[in-house]
Amino acid sequence: MLGKSTEAHISFGELDPQFKYEISKLPGGENIKYCFACGTCSAGCPVREIDEKYNPRRIIRMALLGIKDRVLSSDLIWLCSTCYTCHERCPQGVKITEVMNVLKNMAVREGYIHPSFTRQVELIAAHGRLYEMDEFDNKKRERMGLPPVATKCPEASEIFNITGILKLVSKSKSKE
Amino acid sequence: MKKIRIGVYVCHCGLNIAGVVDVAAVRDYAKTLPGVVVARDNRYACSEVGQRAIAQDIKRHKLERVVVASCTPRLHESTFQRVLGENGLNPYLIEMANIRDQCSWVHYDQPEKATQKAKDLVRAAVARARLLRPLEVNTSPVNKSAMVIGAGIAGISAALYLGKAGIKTYLVEKGPSIGGHMAMLDKTFPTLDCSLCILSPLMVDVAQNENIKLLTCTEMTDVTGFAGNFKVKLRKKPRYVDEDKCVACGLCAEKCPTKVPDEFNRGLTMRKAIYIPFAQAIPSKYLIDPERCLYFTKERCKVCQRVCEAGALNFDQKEEEVEIDIGVIIITTGFDVYDPSENREYGYGRYPNVLTQLDFERMLSADGPTHGKLKRLSDGKPIKRLAFIQCVGSRNLGNAKYCSRVCCMITTKQAVMVKEKNSEVEVYVYYIDMRTAGKEFEEFYQRARSSGVVFVRGRPGEIVEHLQTHNLRIIAEDADSGCLFENEVDMVILAVGLKPAKDVQDLTKKLRLSRSADGFLLEAHPKLRPAETTMDGVYLAGCAQFPKDIPDTVAQAGNAAAVAAGLLSRDVIEIVPLNAVVNADNCIGCGLCESLCPYGAIRLEKTAQGPKAGVTETLCKGCGVCAASCPERAIAIQHYADEQIIAQIQALLGVR
Repeated sequence: MLGKSTEAHISFGELDPQFKYEISKLPGGENIKYCFACGTCSAGCPVREIDEKYNPRRIIRMALLGIKDRVLSSDLIWLCSTCYTCHERCPQGVKITEVMNVLKNMAVREGYIHPSFTRQVELIAAHGRLYEMDEFDNKKRERMGLPPVATKCPEASEIFNITGILKLVSKSKSKE
Repeated sequence: MKKIRIGVYVCHCGLNIAGVVDVAAVRDYAKTLPGVVVARDNRYACSEVGQRAIAQDIKRHKLERVVVASCTPRLHESTFQRVLGENGLNPYLIEMANIRDQCSWVHYDQPEKATQKAKDLVRAAVARARLLRPLEVNTSPVNKSAMVIGAGIAGISAALYLGKAGIKTYLVEKGPSIGGHMAMLDKTFPTLDCSLCILSPLMVDVAQNENIKLLTCTEMTDVTGFAGNFKVKLRKKPRYVDEDKCVACGLCAEKCPTKVPDEFNRGLTMRKAIYIPFAQAIPSKYLIDPERCLYFTKERCKVCQRVCEAGALNFDQKEEEVEIDIGVIIITTGFDVYDPSENREYGYGRYPNVLTQLDFERMLSADGPTHGKLKRLSDGKPIKRLAFIQCVGSRNLGNAKYCSRVCCMITTKQAVMVKEKNSEVEVYVYYIDMRTAGKEFEEFYQRARSSGVVFVRGRPGEIVEHLQTHNLRIIAEDADSGCLFENEVDMVILAVGLKPAKDVQDLTKKLRLSRSADGFLLEAHPKLRPAETTMDGVYLAGCAQFPKDIPDTVAQAGNAAAVAAGLLSRDVIEIVPLNAVVNADNCIGCGLCESLCPYGAIRLEKTAQGPKAGVTETLCKGCGVCAASCPERAIAIQHYADEQIIAQIQALLGVR
């Protein structure tokens, strides 16, 4: 019998061996299982250079081992700048940038959205834009001879309702 | 029609078959088939006991055909053919039903259906067996000489094995000297033997062996024939120096005004337009590079002719065509090194201090560009910090998927050599996995670590050159510590992979050989026939088959020579009669078969009735491409005739 994870070790029994297959079934994740952890991705990564917490080699490795919850709930997968340097250089054709996108999509479905993104969704749902406008702004615009802009945008929240993103956002917030 | 008497033998193959298929049921079913006079099951049909049962039945039951339901004919058809032959039956009157691979193995979870399928296959085999015809084995005399193409360490070894065994051997080399890549190495791992110290005695042996005829500057242009009887056309390029007169004094090169990048030193030094490839070259004769010689390009100079006291210069030499008849061919054409300028992020070709392992090997050599001194080519600065990057052009989906096998050990060797020359030089090796599997290889890797070489498990993303200093900045992650490291070094050595030699493609076409997905020549069997090709009488050794080190290359050369000598020890070779036969009355001479035949075995011949297809039985492999494509159905494959196959299919489908 496989034991439980402790502070000292993670038990393979609690990992999700299917995780790598799930990733490789999604567009962009196809080659993830080829990874031999050479570290070319980390060596050229501009984010890794300024923040040692972000390490694409380690994220891919953890995904391959099936440490699903830790990977999907991690803030780190949201840090990829999508510069595609790693993607271009990976000797095994792992599309690392796209794997990060796959992981982000999976995280969202599991209810993990980085707070910076939940806030953005809420703002757009409420105002139709990221920068909130009110009557004060419209008065300023009027003085400068510009037409007023809408301060509310019910269509945006309607679209978000249809796509279900609002539900995902509230699921994610409840996890926080 | 007289009923043909058939015996059926159903094999248990231990539990391989009997663990799934109900062998007794198959045996009893076989007894009910028309023509079957005896059916038995054997625990192992291939064993002495199993063979004896068949032999006794052939006599007792006057069997005319035998069906064995067991494994694949690739394993044991010849076993049973011999039993038939020894007991007065033509060996081609046997049919095998493969109820192991095709029933018990693939349908292991459905025993009933597997048993049913075994019965179906036996029924089909019996139907075909009934129509089998006796075939006569032809023979052809064997020409007892050999040709070895490519004179690196593989070709030299193979030629010496054959020559010492008394076999007349032509050693054909396209370059001006034998020695190959091994001659370019300074030392060899893991013993640090001087490469030329161990190679040049063999090169001298080749030159002196009375059975070996060395042909340098020579390429194969055409080959016809078959195992035991090849006719080969060779083209020998002129050296413009009479080999019999040249004493290699070197005066010509001293006076020659034209400088050319020296291939032997990977273009890192210059040679003259008249030159000897390297000091220990065999033959030890000078030659002119006509593409650079002033006389050949501008019709002036000829200073070499004026200074040559031996009068060896001959500007009128012409290309020679040579034709030789041989019995076997050994291919030892070696490899090309991967050109890393494709990997732009490492800057090879743009940064003067980024070199390949082979370039660096020349730098370590006393005859190299720095005479073995550890200094940079760009500015002569001593090398204080040095980095190696592994797996450049290997283990990479974009270049070569395979591991080139030798680069880890070459780097380890070069790192140790650097440390031995100057222990204060800092040496870093960036690697993905260190592969040091081989006799005393791991110990050698340990020696490198204990001499202070730093091994970093992490592949660098790019190399950036400092514009003023030409130093190189490497950023890589050390996966083991998780730290990202910056490093500034004086020189970077790329451990480039080995790839199939460019000329292999041409050779493959001429000899109709197969290549594996990686582009290297395909061996006949990856485990049991590693030195043979898919063509009879054509063998291979060394890196033409796959990257390998010197000990493995020499071992494979011995293997190839042994198989080749085995064929040459026979006076005649048997020609398996499973070839195409043409019904000349139906042939319309369209030539489709000739254009499709992958072995060049079927050609249009002039006859009184117009052009007709004719088969060279010794070349034909019986693949059936001609028979399948013939618009007039004028071609049949012996032993796989239409009526035999149709009977088999009808029986399988239950058509009566």
